[in-house]
Amino acid sequence: MSFDDMLDDLRKREAKARAMGGPERLARREAQGVLNARTRIDAFIDPGSWVETGLLAVSSIVPEDRDKTPADGKIAGFAKVDGRMVAVASNDFTTKGASSSATNMKKVGHVKRVATERGFPLVFFGESSGARMPDNMGAKGMGTNLGHDPQQYVRTRQTPWASAVLGQCYGSSAWYTCLSDFVVMRKGAIMAVASPGLASFAIGQDVEAEDLGGWKMHSEISGLIDLVVESDEEALDEIKRFLSYMPSHCNEPPPLASVPAGSDECARRILDILPDSRKRAYDVRKIIKCLADLDSFFEFKPKFGRPAVTGLARMDGRTVGFIASNPMGKAGALDVAACEKATRFTVMCDSFNIPLILLVDTPGFVIGIEGEKQKAPGKIMNFMQALQMCTVPKLSVIMRKSYGQAYLNMGGGRNSDDVAIWPTAEVSFMDAHYATQIVTWGQQASDERKQEIREQMEKDSSAYSLAEIYAAQAVIAPADTRRYLIQQLEIHELRMSGGIGAHRMAAWPTTF
Amino acid sequence: MATTKVTSEVIGTVWKVEKAVGDQVAEGDLIMILESMKMEIPVEAPLAGTLSEIKVSPDDSVEEDHVLCLIES
Repeated sequence: MSFDDMLDDLRKREAKARAMGGPERLARREAQGVLNARTRIDAFIDPGSWVETGLLAVSSIVPEDRDKTPADGKIAGFAKVDGRMVAVASNDFTTKGASSSATNMKKVGHVKRVATERGFPLVFFGESSGARMPDNMGAKGMGTNLGHDPQQYVRTRQTPWASAVLGQCYGSSAWYTCLSDFVVMRKGAIMAVASPGLASFAIGQDVEAEDLGGWKMHSEISGLIDLVVESDEEALDEIKRFLSYMPSHCNEPPPLASVPAGSDECARRILDILPDSRKRAYDVRKIIKCLADLDSFFEFKPKFGRPAVTGLARMDGRTVGFIASNPMGKAGALDVAACEKATRFTVMCDSFNIPLILLVDTPGFVIGIEGEKQKAPGKIMNFMQALQMCTVPKLSVIMRKSYGQAYLNMGGGRNSDDVAIWPTAEVSFMDAHYATQIVTWGQQASDERKQEIREQMEKDSSAYSLAEIYAAQAVIAPADTRRYLIQQLEIHELRMSGGIGAHRMAAWPTTF
Repeated sequence: MATTKVTSEVIGTVWKVEKAVGDQVAEGDLIMILESMKMEIPVEAPLAGTLSEIKVSPDDSVEEDHVLCLIES
């Protein structure tokens, strides 16, 4: 064979691999407005930056599949996004449903290992039917295909991971999704342990795919995803946005961004948002948007655990994480879902050197039987332990109510590096009405006596009382809060380690 | 013309309705106030438009995502 023939043969093999599952299957997807594994990569990366690994890999278990498995159904490689290196694993559903096989698992393992060891993020475009059949069947199928990588499902957060759920995600694409720091899901995609078909055959449960693992279920009930979008393109843009806040790896601080003009103006509007009446709710997200750099607030899980709001943002160009109680959700009383959400977000921020800002307006934790059945005390302690394990700077602002154990969980006392408090705040163990009921329990206390006790309980819950004993470091006006937080972030910068935390929760779970 | 559903963020009861059908609203205008967990929960217009229908009255119980009113824009 001449050199020309050899090179021609190579080009033909490459073209065949890039054709994926063939023009008909690709056309069907295009007609549905869904991108394919390669157009997703093109839409995601900086033009011309793609370096593929394993283009000519094929199925290695079933000989007759060799010609029918271009790139073996999982496309892997490296590219630049906004000029920074990322690793990508993109599932080609047109090739055997992007099922996991002996060969393609080696490819995914390779990009995962390289991203981790060389220090850059890993991104998954999830759309996979699960383990390949019949390759994985029988003892030899299991022993040959599975379990050769003892680190396959270990997350130690050396580098950020992000996942897009863009189709059916069962098995490994569900596992990698749940191990990620950020997950975006396109409406119409499904993520579950196994398909509704298998649920029907195996346990007789007739369930609609959307109910089993659709966007509504995951964004509102399971909380396993961070964001819902309408299209593949939007999902890819949201991952790019997430990465823009993150360092490439855990041993560097997050990137600095320029500060948009007008960022300092909005803080003056906080008093227009904060109601006069302590009984009136407001949406704390409006306050976050006034404090953060203009248009920089990037919320996680907006429909899950709504008494807490979590999201990344920038303050004077630096990435920060906000955890805020939201009076619009259960009056700001933190429930089990809110604790799970706050814990996960705390662990992620701490692992990637992102300072935390806690905004407090909460009457406490939700009490009652529903929460207890969902392990509320354990969830409250997971959140508390996460906060105390944190070594990134933590700043807390008590805006209105801060009550009971939630005072500690939201950074009260030495659970923050600095506590600032607004003059509008009230801090106590519980509402004076309930406290009066408790201390007069079983006594024949007159209404006058109860009134006296109540007045006694009500006193000293002011911001100034907390500041006088130095349990708050400053009483500040809402309009000065942005400036104050930026100054405190500078004071508490981790100079001794070049901005790097101790990452004591790096191997904590990604879901709670 | 597009119709936008304004839904409840909380389980609670309707306390006060501050606007009437046919009223023009700007984004952020207060439409009604719900009562939940002893707190007053404002319901604000998510966008500017005309209130074409109000589906609840004071003292009605509402669930999360319950449609409270419609805005034509």
